[in-house]
Amino acid sequence: MKKLLVLAAALTLGSSMAAPFVWPAKWSADAPSAAKSGGEFRNYTLSDFKTVNPFTSAEATSIPGTMALPGDGLFTQDPTTDEFIPHMADGMPAVSNGGKRFVVKIRQGMKFSDGQAITADDWITTYKIHTDDKVGSNSYDSFFINDKPITVKKLDDYTLQFDFPQTSAEAYATMSYNPWPDHIFGAAYRKGGADAVKALWGLNVDPKTVVSPGPFVLSGYSAGQRAVFRKNPYYGEWNKDSAGKSLPYLDGYSFRIVKDLNAGLASYLAGDIDTYGPRNADDLAQIKKAIDAKTLNATLIANVSPAASSQWITFNWNKADSPFKQKLFRDTRFRHAMSMLANRDAMVQLALGGLGVPTYYSVYPVFKGFINDSAPKYPYNLDGAAKLLAQMGFTKKGSDGVLVDSKGNKLEFTLTTNAGNTTREQLGRIFADEAKKIGVKVNFNPIDFNVLVGQLQSKGESRPFDAILLGLSGGTNIWPYGVNVVPCGTDLHSYNNPTNGACATSQEQLMTKLFYQGQSTVDLKAREAIGSQLLKTEAELQPVIYLVGGSYHVTYNNRLGGQHPRDLMDSYYGSRELPLTFIK
Amino acid sequence: MLIFLLRRLLNLLPTFLIASIMVFVIIYLAPGDFLTPARLNPGISAQQIENLSRSFGLDKPWYVQYFNWMNNMLHGNLGLSFSYQQPVLDVAWPRVLNSLKLVLVNLVLFYGISIPLGVYGAVRQYSLGDRVSGVFFYVLLGFPSFFLALLTIFGILRLRQLTGWHIPLGGMTSDNHDTLSFLGRTWDTLQHLLAPALVLAIINVAGFTRVLRGQMLENLRSDYIRTARSKGVPERSVIYRHTLRNAIIPFVADVGNILPGLIGGAGFVEVVFSYPGITPMLLDSLNSQDFYLIAAFSILPMILLFIGNALSDILLTLVDPRIRFS
Repeated sequence: MKKLLVLAAALTLGSSMAAPFVWPAKWSADAPSAAKSGGEFRNYTLSDFKTVNPFTSAEATSIPGTMALPGDGLFTQDPTTDEFIPHMADGMPAVSNGGKRFVVKIRQGMKFSDGQAITADDWITTYKIHTDDKVGSNSYDSFFINDKPITVKKLDDYTLQFDFPQTSAEAYATMSYNPWPDHIFGAAYRKGGADAVKALWGLNVDPKTVVSPGPFVLSGYSAGQRAVFRKNPYYGEWNKDSAGKSLPYLDGYSFRIVKDLNAGLASYLAGDIDTYGPRNADDLAQIKKAIDAKTLNATLIANVSPAASSQWITFNWNKADSPFKQKLFRDTRFRHAMSMLANRDAMVQLALGGLGVPTYYSVYPVFKGFINDSAPKYPYNLDGAAKLLAQMGFTKKGSDGVLVDSKGNKLEFTLTTNAGNTTREQLGRIFADEAKKIGVKVNFNPIDFNVLVGQLQSKGESRPFDAILLGLSGGTNIWPYGVNVVPCGTDLHSYNNPTNGACATSQEQLMTKLFYQGQSTVDLKAREAIGSQLLKTEAELQPVIYLVGGSYHVTYNNRLGGQHPRDLMDSYYGSRELPLTFIK
Repeated sequence: MLIFLLRRLLNLLPTFLIASIMVFVIIYLAPGDFLTPARLNPGISAQQIENLSRSFGLDKPWYVQYFNWMNNMLHGNLGLSFSYQQPVLDVAWPRVLNSLKLVLVNLVLFYGISIPLGVYGAVRQYSLGDRVSGVFFYVLLGFPSFFLALLTIFGILRLRQLTGWHIPLGGMTSDNHDTLSFLGRTWDTLQHLLAPALVLAIINVAGFTRVLRGQMLENLRSDYIRTARSKGVPERSVIYRHTLRNAIIPFVADVGNILPGLIGGAGFVEVVFSYPGITPMLLDSLNSQDFYLIAAFSILPMILLFIGNALSDILLTLVDPRIRFS
């Protein structure tokens, strides 16, 4: 009965004829009147495309991810407020069952690039394929909360019902997956299962058979060279700018595959590509020089925001083979002291060429809403570090200048990172040099990346490392804590991972609890409050010492228009919305 | 001749078997696997890693994987690339063809430059031209190829900025390639090939030229040349028909190494010029530990080595009348 009432309510809510989605004018720095239709935006990517198939695709820049953008789902995140707003949905959902059931009306009149209507069946099929573990989809995890599945049901051709096993902060993100055509993937899946789906749309697919729900559709791919997209004409029927003009403005979009970044820079300087991601001061200087010399007509904005990635040092709490080190690494005073040894300003200057910010927390500084300024920081302070170590009994130095305790244990440990990452190698050297000044001996040792990851993820009472310097990236501003990082016993709970996965401290227990609490809190403000408490606990415990974060820079050829206003640009939302981009 | 080639093929089989096992063991011994980067993703659960590992067959011991692979090989299937989720041959073959184009143009340029230079150096020994070209190419010999490639790219960029000429900076074709006529497409590709092929060629010119020059000098002093000259054979014929043909024999014997060398040879130049050849893909596959793709790229040169050696044997019978396989 209750179900029926909800359904009736949902139907009345969405019964009016669907209107197009209007892209807010505030998302673009240019007024709609300035926008012109036509032209091609020439982008570049570093790694070759691997597939056209949306279910097996795993790369950061992918062909399916370009045809249907992250926002081409039921809901999209508004970069001005971080809130989700309906995109392919006709309105916000009817929520019931204590915030666990969402009944969503689908916007009517949407079509795939082959002209077929986009309906509930497409979402159902896409969901089924993503959650088939034989397909190996990258989105598999997003349809489960603590191993319990989220279910999707079709109520009618234009109504979907999502049931969550518990309330979820990620609910809107979870529901916002791209729908792929049932008439292609569903048909194959019903006939040949996972294998039939995986066999579809390899790189040698005939582009004429590729169908997209998003603004662009593949028109050609040449192996290792470029992928070219053309406008999906049906997208403009339900996507309009604030003046009522159809989107996208562009006729075409293309990616050049550039393996060598110097060659990529050269192509940008020559005007062969329209945008570039400057890595360092050298890149910025070269672009600036070309702009000043008027050989390149482009815009360059340095230090737009911090990058969405982190660099940190973690200490191993599971060292049953060395009781001294285990006790040392588990002592909060020791980790506070180590944070004070990190000369973050020098790291920014020397390792990042001045282009970065010191960091103290696991949350990337770009997610401002989740940064709690009252959480403790342990900035560079050699005297402070020496005092803390003295409290722990390290008052004397041996003949080699290394601190020893009363039992003659030397304050010495090995710090490893992945060899070949020059930034991390420099961070490690700076840390070791500073540590040496107060008598802490750090044996800095870059090793093979895969060995390092194996060590970091090892479980047990005696794990094979002292300290590791590494970085992580990925995550959203919805709940910027990793499901695989914070809770005890998970794979990236790097500092403490005994066989039974138990927490070693009450703070870890609290953090685990707060993590799940935040994960299930739908309201953004309430979630931010929980996050703030989590951040404070984490900062006090300092299980991981956060060092520095790089900066995000933006540069683009002035023939492009429609970028974000300056205050909307950041490493999370990027510098532009593709449908609002135009060629002047 | 046919029997000789068949015997060659039989000899290849054990070599092939041992090499393939070695390739497999070495890849298996390397720490980590294709899923290592995924393990560092804060959002991917252990359960999903396990699913992927199972679907890629990475949960099985190496010898099981090897036998599956061998079995597939015998059916003409080189396995599935993990990252592309496509048959390895479909993924790799276009790259092999691209590399072959580059290396062919490179060979034409290479022999086109170094043979005349070697002959000139021998005929006009110690002349100004001989010395200047010697010094010039020796200096280039010291450059790593990728560095010379970078210099070339920035040279082209400056030239473009100064003159506005549209010289390709990299890649293999222009954006409008597909809309061109057949001739237009050929010319377009050739334009893109020229710079990387030239970089590859001139790096190696010095070595070849010097050895050819030495060979030529030695042959020019030999009795049969003196005889030919005293019989009144024209000088042109003496140099090109008699001396060069003999001087070139050691190089022909070496042709067998060119084909597999093509794969390693075009190397970093392909990367720097964003040329879609084998090397960028090989580096990617090594980096991501894409098992079957690496295995294919290790097996391919072996097959090419066989073909190359057979080819050089045939060529030798053509240029050296003393060699017969009957």
